[in-house]
Amino acid sequence: MKTLIRQSIRTGITYGIVQIFFILIAFNTMVGIMLAKISGIKNPGEIPAAKFLIAYTILMGLWVGISALSKKKFLPAGHKLLAGFTAGLVSAILVGLLELAMTGILVNKIFIRDFLTVLSFDFIKATLFGLTPVLGIVVTMGAIVLGSLLAVGLNIVTNLNAVQEHWKKDLSFLKNLNDKFQRMIRGKYHLIWQIVGISILAVAVIFIPMKWGSYWNYVFGTVGLYVILGLGLNIIVGLSGQLVLGYIAFFAIGAYTMALLNAPEPHNLMWGFWPALLLGVLLAALSGILLGLPIMRLRGDYLAIVTLGFGEIIRILLKSDVLTDFTGGPRGIQNIQGPMLFGKPFNSEVDFVYLIIAGVLLASFVYNRLQQSRTGRAWLAIREDETVARASGVDTIKYKLLALAIGAAFAGLAGGIYASRNQFTGPDEHALMASINVLSLIIVGGMGNIPGTILGAFTLKGLPEILREFANFRLLAFGALLVFMMLSRPEGLIPSHRPKYDEPNEVSGEMKKKEVPHDQ
Amino acid sequence: MKAMKFLAVFMVLAMLLTACGQAAATEAPVAATEAPVAATEAPVAGGAPEACADALGCAVFEAGDVIKIGMGAPMTGGNASYGIDISQGATIAMSDAGDIEGWTFALDAQDDGGTAEGGAAVANKFAADPAIVAVAGHIFSGATAAAMPIYEKVGIPMLSPSATNPPLTASGSTVFNRIAFTDLNQGNNAADFIYNTLGVKKMAVLHDGSDYGKGLADIVAAQFVKDGGEVVIEQAITPGESDYTAVLSTVAAKTPDAIYFGGYTAEGAVLVNQMKTTGLENAKFFGCDGTYGEDFLTRTGANGEGAYASIAPASPDSDAKLTFNAAYLEKFGKEAGSLSPYTWAGYDAAAALAATVKQVAVVADGKLYIPRAALVAAVRSLSNYVGLSGTFTCQSNGECNTDKPQFVVVKDGAWTNAE
Amino acid sequence: MNDPSSLPLTPKGNNNLQTNTNTAAKKLQAFQNSKFMKLLRPILGVVVSLYIVFRLYQVLVVHQEYGADTWTRLLISGLIIGGVYSLIAIGYTLVYGILFMINFAHGEVMMFGAYAGLYSFWAFKIIPIAGDPPTNFLNAYPILAIILAFLIGMTVSATMGFFLEKIAYRPLRKAPRLVPLISAIGASIFLQNAAMLLFSPQLRDVTNPDILRRGAGWTIVINGSNVILPYTGVFTFILSILLLVGLYILVRKSKLGRAMRATALDKKTAALMGVDVDSTISRTFIISGALAGAAGVMWGIHNGLVYYFVGFIPGIKAFTAAVLGGIGNLPGAMVGGLLLGIVESMGPAALGIDFQLKDVLSFLILIFVLTFRPSGLLGEVLSEEKV
Repeated sequence: MKTLIRQSIRTGITYGIVQIFFILIAFNTMVGIMLAKISGIKNPGEIPAAKFLIAYTILMGLWVGISALSKKKFLPAGHKLLAGFTAGLVSAILVGLLELAMTGILVNKIFIRDFLTVLSFDFIKATLFGLTPVLGIVVTMGAIVLGSLLAVGLNIVTNLNAVQEHWKKDLSFLKNLNDKFQRMIRGKYHLIWQIVGISILAVAVIFIPMKWGSYWNYVFGTVGLYVILGLGLNIIVGLSGQLVLGYIAFFAIGAYTMALLNAPEPHNLMWGFWPALLLGVLLAALSGILLGLPIMRLRGDYLAIVTLGFGEIIRILLKSDVLTDFTGGPRGIQNIQGPMLFGKPFNSEVDFVYLIIAGVLLASFVYNRLQQSRTGRAWLAIREDETVARASGVDTIKYKLLALAIGAAFAGLAGGIYASRNQFTGPDEHALMASINVLSLIIVGGMGNIPGTILGAFTLKGLPEILREFANFRLLAFGALLVFMMLSRPEGLIPSHRPKYDEPNEVSGEMKKKEVPHDQ
Repeated sequence: MKAMKFLAVFMVLAMLLTACGQAAATEAPVAATEAPVAATEAPVAGGAPEACADALGCAVFEAGDVIKIGMGAPMTGGNASYGIDISQGATIAMSDAGDIEGWTFALDAQDDGGTAEGGAAVANKFAADPAIVAVAGHIFSGATAAAMPIYEKVGIPMLSPSATNPPLTASGSTVFNRIAFTDLNQGNNAADFIYNTLGVKKMAVLHDGSDYGKGLADIVAAQFVKDGGEVVIEQAITPGESDYTAVLSTVAAKTPDAIYFGGYTAEGAVLVNQMKTTGLENAKFFGCDGTYGEDFLTRTGANGEGAYASIAPASPDSDAKLTFNAAYLEKFGKEAGSLSPYTWAGYDAAAALAATVKQVAVVADGKLYIPRAALVAAVRSLSNYVGLSGTFTCQSNGECNTDKPQFVVVKDGAWTNAE
Repeated sequence: MNDPSSLPLTPKGNNNLQTNTNTAAKKLQAFQNSKFMKLLRPILGVVVSLYIVFRLYQVLVVHQEYGADTWTRLLISGLIIGGVYSLIAIGYTLVYGILFMINFAHGEVMMFGAYAGLYSFWAFKIIPIAGDPPTNFLNAYPILAIILAFLIGMTVSATMGFFLEKIAYRPLRKAPRLVPLISAIGASIFLQNAAMLLFSPQLRDVTNPDILRRGAGWTIVINGSNVILPYTGVFTFILSILLLVGLYILVRKSKLGRAMRATALDKKTAALMGVDVDSTISRTFIISGALAGAAGVMWGIHNGLVYYFVGFIPGIKAFTAAVLGGIGNLPGAMVGGLLLGIVESMGPAALGIDFQLKDVLSFLILIFVLTFRPSGLLGEVLSEEKV
């Protein structure tokens, strides 16, 4: 009983702080506006009507209540009520204290926006629902407690816990599906399944983009490009186990090759799309080898920082005064010619979506073949233990360089298509954050497998587009989701059935038994 | 067996690829004609005005709808202050714009991160939204370059407050216009002013490595040499840092009489402050419109005394501007111009677009029609529009702010006319 | 060999593993000494050295572009920035030494410290103190104000470090190595945007007390030219060194330091010996957060500019510095930080290249150093077996 109350108070304090934070970044008015839009008001203005803010507050209370009751499935109803109520009340008191302080600011007309930028008088009035301060605080606290009690009620009636626990189950369902899928395409009737699967995919792939608007085609195309990038980085990080943080440099090389060979400025070479794409891929692969040669002895985080440095060097050089005449400098390169195929120019997002899908298929195919080949096994050996691999006769240098070259080639391919699609590329497109995005996507999706990479690309590039409604809160939500995803699914959304890149034993000090399924 | 499997998969893939290629090829013309049709969205129903008959059609608004002006701006990341500030300025323009027989304006500011990828995503989103009639943006040149071809297809006119990259207006786009101050004019005049009026013979030229700063600095350096002056050193600094003493020390070793800086207040103010500790106490600091503003004064204090800037000619304290400044402070809790130097330009771009929309809008049968082609033409023929940051007349290439710059200097803690 | 001052990365006591891999290690060694690598490294070394000597000769002897006054200015600037880099780098190294994870959000922890310092000074400026003429708390009791600002900044950052570990890293302690890294990246994005939304994206100026006015300093005359040694810079540098020395003593002498070293060596054994591993890790994060907070306040005092993105670039630089010195090694982080600071300020001038390329230079030096010493300047040679 005491533990229950203590836990609830702790939950209440945590979520009280979260709610205070939300108010201080004006998250409440933003949600209020969204609620207003959902209910059909076309132009809700900057500050939504009080009823929506009250609805937001009740939602917050609901959240507190749900959190207070999570993992408490088998408590008697009375205890649930107590836990939910305590948590709700504690967070309501905290929010009430904040609103009291805000009232003080309002009454004394203190200009505090130099410190906390959202606290304008209008905002404070809105947060108090336009009521008198005392009434406003009471209503806020009441709404939060009401919300938490609502959560208790819901919990007792529908057993909301089940929904929460499903989060994990649903995703392991994804893994099962993947396993089933793998068995299907590798099992007895693999050839039939492969053909059937590919035909279904082909039909979907050909007809769906025609139905979408250009916006979703664009987003879909971007996701596709990141799938190619993700597969390339997966070869380097996921298969051969080299942590590379400057991966976007190879992308930049592909993009700039395309741009320099196909734009009127600065060189006016106009080679056409296909030769430039090919050259971009080759150059990227070559630069992968050149980067690899001096740093073959490095491992882990040393490799990470060196490759990060390489990425930054490429970006700064592209931007620098020294190379302005050659690369266009900070202005980047404009009016890049699009591809021609059978005499037809590509001039809409739909065309590029097809091109990108073809690229994704090619990349997946190459990736899949490599993974299952002798090379793939050599990479796995290097990833698991480089020293032992070397001792067992694997030419580690050759295979590590090969991984870098092939991974880089994938990036070059994506870069070329990217530059051609946007008709523009500039140095700041290729900043560190882009590398980090690619790395994040393969880890979020689950390292070392194609479905994981695709899902990761959707998460990393599709999610921010879906989060557009959140306006300024977009990246905040994205960062929080990234942490949350890692906490709830440390092995990625679709874990690979192969062992991971790095074993936890060196961190936790324990050796973990692992299975290496042999699928050949 | 393995070889067979490989072959089979390869065959299917090859078939698929060719299918894709053909599909794409046959698709192309359809898609090309599809785009404008999609733009029309609402079918041209009976009662629609004549102007809607062309390929681009009209944006149609039912009673109660809101006319949306788009803006693609970096709202997150290292350059978020520009996007947030300009969109805040534009928001005020929307509430000042009033209405057309009950239809009001609203700003739809979307985060493009300042990059081409984000710019194209936002542009595609706007192109798919029938309520967007015009775009006040984009803010950064990279995003603008990638967005232009997309708006071109659906006939959404752009009026950028801040994309200064010169080639943007050189590519023959019909939709792109800007009220950002033209670099060429500003740079050449500034160099002449420094050489002739200020009598500086030895100058150091710095820039922040951005397309804006570097473009301007290159023009100034070239003109200054043409005038007969000597550019003793040209250096780029890394933006976003706050310690430039090293680069200033090497500049000091060349003993220039003045330093020209192409860039923004963020770095300009740091340079001015650190000039005093690096042996450049006696050199003049000459900035550009990017370093002009109240923020420069508060951040440099006494160090800023005697610093120059070149700005678009506008009466510095017109009533409209003072009203705007007060409204901005009231609404956002910051002095106008403290987040970026483009606050007023943001207001102007949105206000000018709203005014143009009002010119071409037609009300018929309780619906509001905005003919897109006419709007594109109307924005391009904007003339003598008096804004807060200047008077704008668009040239045939889309440059709308080509006036001779005005030079100002900090005197007793305030910007005053230098001529 | 067994330098007690560093947080050792390698479980040297782990005999079984060591002997098993010993023969393999020899083979690797043999490969690294193979013809190919033998040729590659000297060629690279000779080419780079020749180029550097050539450029130095040109700049220093042929052109004589800069006098002693300029070099002194550059050195001062480099030492100051290097001191701050060291202090941030120590935070990375401490955490890395114990958890083998890169705390990507460390720069953001520093940023919150910088905001805390900024707001403290502003608040002190508002508090009036009666007197003749009436003044404010900031200038009436400047030393107290500075101490308070540092305490507030360090407390804020230490709290952040503590919660960061507790929320984002602790549940992942047994997860694969890259997972906490991504979690850290997520936390970094979150914190940056949280700061932007809370405090607005505006660039803020720190109001220093009058005795630490920015731009003021001791004047040294070199070559007939005044070289200013700024008060804020000297203050920053001395304080960084003091904090570093303090930390060094803490790790070497105190009970907590011993616990930290034990945890770094082998968590399980440490736990068996009665070390509370969780609390040791928590405290490590608190210490590294406090140092980042101090670095943030100093950043504000010396550079005067605080905004939500202020932690990003120093964070990357300090990470580079930590790796340059040998990550996991305390003196290494310090050497790396100072070296990086000096290379950044003096390098472009010495080699006669654009200052825009100073980051290229620092990363090239990093690559160059790591090519010859794969575990950093002071890192243990064995550590590559481990990583």
